[in-house]
Parts: sequence; structure tokens; C-alpha cells
Amino acid sequence: MLELKINGGTYEVDPPVGQTLAETLRGDLGLTGTKVACGEGHCGACTVQLDGVPALSCITLVHTVGEREVTTIEGLRDHPLVDAFVRADALQCGFCTPGQIVSAAALVEAEPELTAERVRHAMAGNLCRCGAYPRIEEAILSWRD
Amino acid sequence: MELRQPSSLAELDGADGLALAGGTDLVPLLRDGLVEAETLVDVRAVVPRGIDGGTIGAGTTLAELEVDPESPQALREACALAASPQLRSMGTIGGNLLQATRCWYWRLKYPCFLHGGSTCHARQGAHREHAIFGNEHCASAHPSDPAAALLSLGTTLRTDRRELPLADLYRLPTEDDRDVTALEPGELILELEVPKPEASTYLKAMDRTRFTFALVGVAAARFGSETKIALAGVAPIPWLLESADDLDRATPLPGTAYKVDLARALVRRALDALA
Amino acid sequence: MARLIRTEKEVEGKYTEQWVVVEGEDEALDQWPQGPRAVVGTPARRQDGLQRARGEAEYTADLQLPGTLHAAVLRSPYAHARAKVDLTRARATGWVRGAIGPGDCHVLQEEPSFHGAPVAAVAADSLREARAGLELIDVEWEELEPLLDPEEAVKRESFVDDTRHYSRGDVEAAFAEADVVVEGEFRTQVVLHNALETHQAVCRWEGETLEVYISTQFIWGVRDSISSQLGLPPDRVRVVCNYMGGGFGAKNSPGDHTYIAIALASQTGHPVHCALTRREENLAAGNRNATSQRLRAGARSDGTLVALEGEYVNAIGWAGFNGPTYGPIEMLYACENVRTVTYGAKLNLPPNAAFRAPGFVEGTFGLECLLDELAGRLELDPLELRRRNYADKDLVDDRPFSSKNLLECYDRAEPHWARRDEVRARSEGPWQRGVGLASQIWYGGGGPPSYAWVRVGSDTRATVITAMQDIGTGTRTAMAQIAAEELGLPLERVRCELGDSARGPYASISAGSSTTPSMGPAVRAAAADAARQLLEIAAQRFHLEERVLSLRGGQIVSADGGSWPLEEITGLLEDAQILGKGARGPNPAGMRVLTFGIQVAEVAVDVETGEVVVERIAAIHDVGRVINPLGARSQVEGGIIQGIGHTLSEARLVDPVSGKVLTQTLDAYKLPTIADVPEIVTDLLDIPDEHLTNLGSKGLGEPPIVPTAAAIVNAIRDATGAEVHELPVSREAMLRALAEAREREKRGAPAAV
Repeated sequence: MLELKINGGTYEVDPPVGQTLAETLRGDLGLTGTKVACGEGHCGACTVQLDGVPALSCITLVHTVGEREVTTIEGLRDHPLVDAFVRADALQCGFCTPGQIVSAAALVEAEPELTAERVRHAMAGNLCRCGAYPRIEEAILSWRD
Repeated sequence: MELRQPSSLAELDGADGLALAGGTDLVPLLRDGLVEAETLVDVRAVVPRGIDGGTIGAGTTLAELEVDPESPQALREACALAASPQLRSMGTIGGNLLQATRCWYWRLKYPCFLHGGSTCHARQGAHREHAIFGNEHCASAHPSDPAAALLSLGTTLRTDRRELPLADLYRLPTEDDRDVTALEPGELILELEVPKPEASTYLKAMDRTRFTFALVGVAAARFGSETKIALAGVAPIPWLLESADDLDRATPLPGTAYKVDLARALVRRALDALA
Repeated sequence: MARLIRTEKEVEGKYTEQWVVVEGEDEALDQWPQGPRAVVGTPARRQDGLQRARGEAEYTADLQLPGTLHAAVLRSPYAHARAKVDLTRARATGWVRGAIGPGDCHVLQEEPSFHGAPVAAVAADSLREARAGLELIDVEWEELEPLLDPEEAVKRESFVDDTRHYSRGDVEAAFAEADVVVEGEFRTQVVLHNALETHQAVCRWEGETLEVYISTQFIWGVRDSISSQLGLPPDRVRVVCNYMGGGFGAKNSPGDHTYIAIALASQTGHPVHCALTRREENLAAGNRNATSQRLRAGARSDGTLVALEGEYVNAIGWAGFNGPTYGPIEMLYACENVRTVTYGAKLNLPPNAAFRAPGFVEGTFGLECLLDELAGRLELDPLELRRRNYADKDLVDDRPFSSKNLLECYDRAEPHWARRDEVRARSEGPWQRGVGLASQIWYGGGGPPSYAWVRVGSDTRATVITAMQDIGTGTRTAMAQIAAEELGLPLERVRCELGDSARGPYASISAGSSTTPSMGPAVRAAAADAARQLLEIAAQRFHLEERVLSLRGGQIVSADGGSWPLEEITGLLEDAQILGKGARGPNPAGMRVLTFGIQVAEVAVDVETGEVVVERIAAIHDVGRVINPLGARSQVEGGIIQGIGHTLSEARLVDPVSGKVLTQTLDAYKLPTIADVPEIVTDLLDIPDEHLTNLGSKGLGEPPIVPTAAAIVNAIRDATGAEVHELPVSREAMLRALAEAREREKRGAPAAV
């Protein structure tokens, strides 16, 4: 039995060794805001925070999460970035958006004063096939407005 | 599958199993069946993490190295240009040195030389991302940017069993042994000793601006009058050049000849930057 | 009064005649005057933005219906083989709940003819078990020789359809008289859609009704295909797609995975979820096919095009559609003499699928690069060359355009084009800078049938109801804007409900840049029908004539200056509702409805390493009236960014020996990242097409991707003199082209003294 700390709550799960955090979040806990788009660490859609640091839940074995606090998009629903993304039209199909916002939330927490160059470096791990990138950049740079 | 989580080296001693740290390469390899393991050993509590002068714990993440003012510039640049922010936050430098090639034939389980077979499918096949050196048996390219940087810096490794120069960690696969590292089964990299150069840099040519493996990566580090050059993405292992002239001895495949031109341009720039 | 009429319908350049029922007031409504209005033409946040951003939107991938089984598909590891499938061992376990092979489902193949072709499938309680179940399927494979080379396929006449020949005028004579002739061979690569939500469906039987929850661009097309395949009455198939995670043309039909899910649901009596993995997605879910193009252009010395010729080989794969690569060369310029031949090579490679302006993206690359080479030979300004060959009617069918403002686009491109001296002057060291442009032509008129309902209740809120889908383009929002405008309501009082064939009328496909021009007029007509009813009631209530009343700003306004809050009428309704109905009328008879535009690209090329950086793209497009400028800009940027991927980094690679796809994963197949995006300047003309519907709006999804590759490659030539004839412009392609340019210069240079 594992005890996971997620979005301020505690959850008990009993997955087999080898199961990923993403599978646990989506399948066992119904936290489907975290998306899986490639399943092998190449796209960033499954990004969650572990103790505030962005991590790819699709290649994180759930048994290695340990004491770390897991923050998913469900824990960031009231973050100002959510409104900033909608305001800037920083999403189209929206499938990558939760991962984008989870990454961005960690970024603005670490670096409240951002430049476009920093955003482009720090967000390069979240692919968006619709190409909302210019607006994602705008949303992150204007997240406090 | 079983997961062990030892809390000290003593507890780890003699245990069978595959070491797991950041998992960014190993977890996908396990899920693809390219690596099989009964037991995984989570070594994060065992392997040192952090930077102390020239000593880097093997459990230090690439993200930590990217921003550490004490790290030589080549290492910081190599880390900054490697993978993605999430992968850099997860992946450790020890694991990064041991990552498997991105050769698509190897990843798609073709029965190639590296998998123990007799041919290199890339040679007759699609190979634009493949090797220009050391490619007689296997044309795969080593993907690690930090490995090239650390090689140019003359890094020494300390494992749980010995010390060895980073250059001796790597070996080309042979008929008798298809492994590309000299690590013994169960041997664990604990620390890296990185000499401080007077100047160093890492340049990387890739297919997009970020988040992709090097077509050619060039690390250069100057110590006094000597400058060491090491390359990523050009051979089955990180590749040390004696001098820029070594590029004349490259053995490119038809589809990798451009990499020699790329390497020439980047080596020249790196040397100019250090002059 | 309802009318049944025969009309022409176009999707992605394919014209068909079909019957449509037209009623409501599409044609009876005058277009709104040009320019932004209270709601239409004013930026609006997308209505489902919060749900999507907060991770609350339920995509097909997120559905967890009770009792759902998960399917895994056994796919051919060979490009061509015969497969003898034995399901005995799989079926013998307790935990493989369903297993099907060839004969159980028409998409499962005994002779799989491309890598990734589906051969068998199983269902189990978890995906993990389903994948384990695949290991228990015994297959005897007999590997067969694959046909992989498109030129060889042409020689052997292995085609997916009849070779297309087109000609007008006397091409040979015109070339003979031309002052200048340029020719070139151009190649484009296979690119993969890679919508982040992979193809997937959950299928379950509810009594005699089959419910299909699917990530799709065409709810009604899926319903019709399944009903005809299964022999079910169409309304016994309910198709649901409330949120979907991208399509780009690859999700227009049910797909193999849906039929597999249906077969397994029928076999097991459970809902079955069949979702492709990323690797399956990149094997078997469609692609933009490769092309080779042998092109020739002849012109008089003043730049007048006298002859154009194109031979196109579309490397289609095992199946798919032979797209209009020939479109731009036949349609873009006023050239009297044009000849094309187009082959659709059938190969042992995965089938293609429509991908954002299929054919025109590839054809524009070849044509517009050749035009710039011609401009170079003529020493004529490339923009001027395009102006001189402006077509004021459609020469293919000799029809007038319903509207065309391409010259205005050219004028607006001038300031961007004029930057080139300054851009070139910023070249420094190995970094050479230049500017290039390319014109755009594409369809985008939409058409009937498309229907919408508008419901107004006592709360003075309106709901647009139509069974369309919002694939991320923001159509929910645009439809609500149109209804709000017509009803004189603020946007926040109007919602759009869509996504379910059981809960709304027939709606068009979200493809071919047709959603807004097809659906928008129906929505406006439905809103107008509701508005008329509101005014009729108001007229009775206030003892006024209907014709003096109108709806504005949430008020009923009288021509004499009186006004009443709309609540005074809707408040009378209690539980009664106003229901408006609307239908899309036909397109203007005898006219060609097209979209136009131009893009100007600025690039920097590192001539030592072959690195190409796109620094700026200005996009000027004529797509009729713009409904939501905020969403429209996003569409333009998204198209351009996909175009940049197509131009610089994306390529599906295949092993030339085995025909197996090598780039199945997103490390090997390189989509653009946020760090690859240039400054993008969007300029939409926003001039309604006066002949097209009650809105004058055309579609916008595809035009922005059409000219991007050519504009970038023309900028590369401007910067370096290198002539790139193939995509992607990889490091090796760029270095090769630079070396060839140096060679040319050497040969052309005066002999050494």
C-alpha cells in the first residue's frame, strides 16, 4: 500500500511495481486533468509537480514518489495562470494545456520576473501541436495582470 | 517486478538489481522491454547529490548543474541544451552518462549488432542521425551532451568500487562485448571529480532549437596551453578528439557526411571562443 | 417553407452534387455591414477555455464508463506480409475478455500491406492485461516483398486511383514562344499529424443503439459510415464528441480503431475503449503524403506567365486520397496554358489522410519556389511578378470568384516586403539574412447541409444547439457570437451546446476550412428565427408593428426611440421557450468560392552549420468576415507554426529496406517547440464576401499553412543564393544547397586572371 500526497490531500493506492504516476492519477484516482499524449517523456502533456518541481508523470514510477507532494492541474485550478491562458487564447484543443499550466506555475513560482527568452527556455518541454505557443508566452509573461 | 529502496551504501551492498535514479531513460526502456529486470533498486538515497567545488554527486540533476555557478561553463551549457526542463529536473548526471543510444533500429528492437546481432541496420538504412567515428560495427550515436562536456574537462569518476577516468568508462562495442560502458554489473557511479578549466564551452547543432538530441555536440576545455575537444552524437560513445585535424579521419556513412562539416564548423567556433 | 434543392458541395477541393433541405432564413437575411460589431468581429475568450485549461474538459481519452474494457491491437511488423492468426491461446485465458482476428472485423487484415496494419485485437479489464493478451495471439507470418519506391510504383502502374490529366490552352506552343523557361524538381516529405489526443473511441451498446464516443472532426460522417458498414439505421448510431484534442484532418472518419472497439463491444457486451498509442498514431493514423513535382514555367520578358506544367507523384501509401497537389499551379495565376498530370502511387506504406490543406501545401511549395526562381531570371521583383499574373477569374472552370481581394493582400504585404534591405543589412558573419514571400490559394467556402437551433428561455439566455464538434478551433465561441449578435444579446448570455448526434441537428465536418462558413449562416438563421418570434410577441405585447422593432443590447428597441428590456417579453414565457431553426443555404451558383493570401518570411541562415532560424512571418489573408479576431489570430499562428515544422524539422523516416516506420516517437519525429516560434504578424482583411451566405465568412483553418514553406525557402534563397528544392530543410539539405550555390557561383564567375 502506498500513501500519496496529492494537491494537499492523502490518497492510498496499491498499484503493482512498474505502474507510473500518470496511470495512478488517471486510472486509480480519476484525476484525468493530467493528460498522457506520448507515454514516454517526449511531450510534456503529463507534467505534474513533485515538491514544486515539474516532472513527467508518464515516466515516473509511482513507487518512487515517496514523501514528495504531488501537484496536478486539479490542484492549480484557481491559479492566476488559468485565467491568463484563457485571456490570451493560449490554448486551442487544450489537450496539452494542463501540462503547460503545471510547468508554467512552477516557473512563475521560481522566477516571478520573466523574460520571453526565459519562458522559451523553461517551456520547451511542453509540446503544443495546435501551435498556441505565442499566446502561451504572452499568458506566462502577463500572468499577474 | 520488485523495487528495493536502500537507505545506505551498506544496505545496497551485494544486492542484485538494476539501479534506478531519475528514471528518464530506464523507465521507458523497461516499458519497451529493451531492458528487463526482476528487481529495481532505487539508489537515490545512496548516491550523493550536490556540488562541492570540483566534486559532483552522481545524483545531482541536470537542472541543478545547469544553474550552478561553480560548474564549468561547458557543463552548464551542455546541461541547459540537453533534453527538456522536466527531464533535466528528473535526470541525474550519473544516469545521463549511462543513457542508451537513440538509434531507431536499436530502440525498435531490430536484431542489430548492439543487440547482439551481426549487422548494423543503420548502415544500409536511414542513418542521418548516426555516427561518423567508431562506426565499423555499430553506427549508433551517443546522445549525451553532458558526457561530451565532462570528457573534454578530463573528469574522473568514483564508483562504489574504484576510480576511473571518464574516458575509460566508455568503450566501443566489439564482437565479444556489445556493451558501450566498462561498468561492472551492479557497479554504481557515486561521484564525479571535474577539474576546473581556464575556459570551456559547449556548442550543439540540432534539428530544432530545444528538446532534441545533438546531431553534433562539441565541447572544448582549455587547461593552460592544452585544449581538449570532445564530441556528442558522432560515435557510439562520447568521442574525444586529439585535435581538430582528427576530423579528417572521420568515416561517415553517406547520410552522415554533413556531420563532419558541422563538427568542423563547431570545433572551429569552440576553439575561437576559448582563444 | 422547406425546400429540397440540388446543390454543389465542396470539401477540400472535392466537389459533389447533393440534395439539401433548406429552410429558415439564411438567404433572406442581409449581411451585416463590414467591420466589427457589438459581438461579431470583436475579440471573445473561448467559451470552453476554462474547462480545458483546468483539466475539467472530458475528452474521449478521459471517459471511464462503468465496465469499460480496454483494447489492444496486434499490428503488422512488416510492410507486406500474410498473417495466419490463431486466437486459441488468447481466448483460453479467463482474463482476455474478447479477441478478434481477420473475419471478425473488416479492418483486420489477412494480408497486411503496410507496417502497422491491424491484424487482430483483444480486450481486457486493463490496458496492461490487453497488451499481455496480444502476446498470446499466435501468428504465422509470411513476409512478402514490399513496394516502397513511388517512381517504381508509377512504372508498374500501382495507383490508388486513375491518373489525373488536366490541360488548358496549348502548352507546347506557349513554351516554344516563351522568352524565359525555368524548371525544377521539388520534393516534399511525409509529415505526421500528431494531434496530442491520439485517435480513440469508446463504443457501447445501449439496447439496440450503438453509442460511439470518439475523438472526431465529423460526428455525422462517423455516424453515416458506421451505420452503412454495420447495416444499422443511421439513428441507431449515436456519436458523441464533446471535447477533442486535435485532428488536423486525420480524424474525419471512424478509423480502424472504432470498428475494432465496436466488434469487441459486440463480442463482450461491455463498453470497449480502443486508443492508439503515440507509436500506433504515427504508424497507422494517416499522414501528409510525400510528393515529387517536376515543374516548368514559361514567361515573357515582362513577367507574364505563358505556360505552366507540372508532373506530380503523390506517394499515397497503401490507401488514402490522391490530393490536389496540382491545385495551385492550375488556379493561382492567370496563365492560359497549363498542363498537369498527377499520379497517386500505391505503396506498401501507411495510408495518408487529409492534413491541413492537403495537396495545396505541397503544390504551393513547388510552384511558389519556382516562381521566385523565375523572378530571379527575369530580374523582376517577386511581388511584382505575382501582381502581373493576377487572375481575375477562375480559369479552371471559367467562373467568376465570389470575392477575391488578393491585390489588397499584396498591397498590405508591401511594408513587410520593404523590410528586406534592412533585414539583409543585418547579415553578420556566418549569419545571412533574407526575406521571401509566397501567395496562398485554397478553398474554404463551406456549404450545406448544416443546421442549427436556437433556444431562448425566460431567463433571457440563448442556447445554440447543433451537433457539430469543436476540434480546438473555437467554433463553440464563434457560433455563440453569431447568435448573440443576431439576438442583440451580450455574449455571456449565449452558449453553444454541441457534440452529440442525439442532441442536435446535422452539422458539417470540421475540415476543409468549412466549419464557420457552413455552420455560421445556419446559426444566424436560427437566431434570426428566434428573434422574429420574440419581436412578434413584443409587437403584440406593446401594440406596435413588428417591423419597427429590433433587438439590441439586450433590449427591444422601437424605431420611435422606445426601448424595453428583453426580460419584459421573455419574462412572460415561464417554462415556455422560443425555438428558432436555421439552415445553411447553397453557395452562390456559378461562382468559385476561394480564400487568398500572402505571407512574407524573414530568415537567418548560418551558412557554416546550415542552421535556419525563421525570425518573422507576416501573414495577410482574405477569408471574408472574421467572427472572432482572437481565435482567428490563434488559427493563423497555429497554421504557420505547423508550417515551420513542415519546412524545417519534421520528417517521417522509413527504413528503405524493410519499409518499416522508424520515427514513431516524438523524440525522433520533431515537432516545433515554443523556442522555434518566430514573431508572427497577422493581418486579416475582414472583408465580407458579398455573395456568400448571410455572413460573408470563409474558413480560416487551412489558409495560413499553405504558403509558409515556400515563403521560408524563398527567404533562404534571398539570404544565401541557395536553391532548396526539398523539405524539410534539414542541416544536410541546407549545407548541400549552399555547396551547390557556391559551385554555381564558381562556374558562373569570370575565369581567373
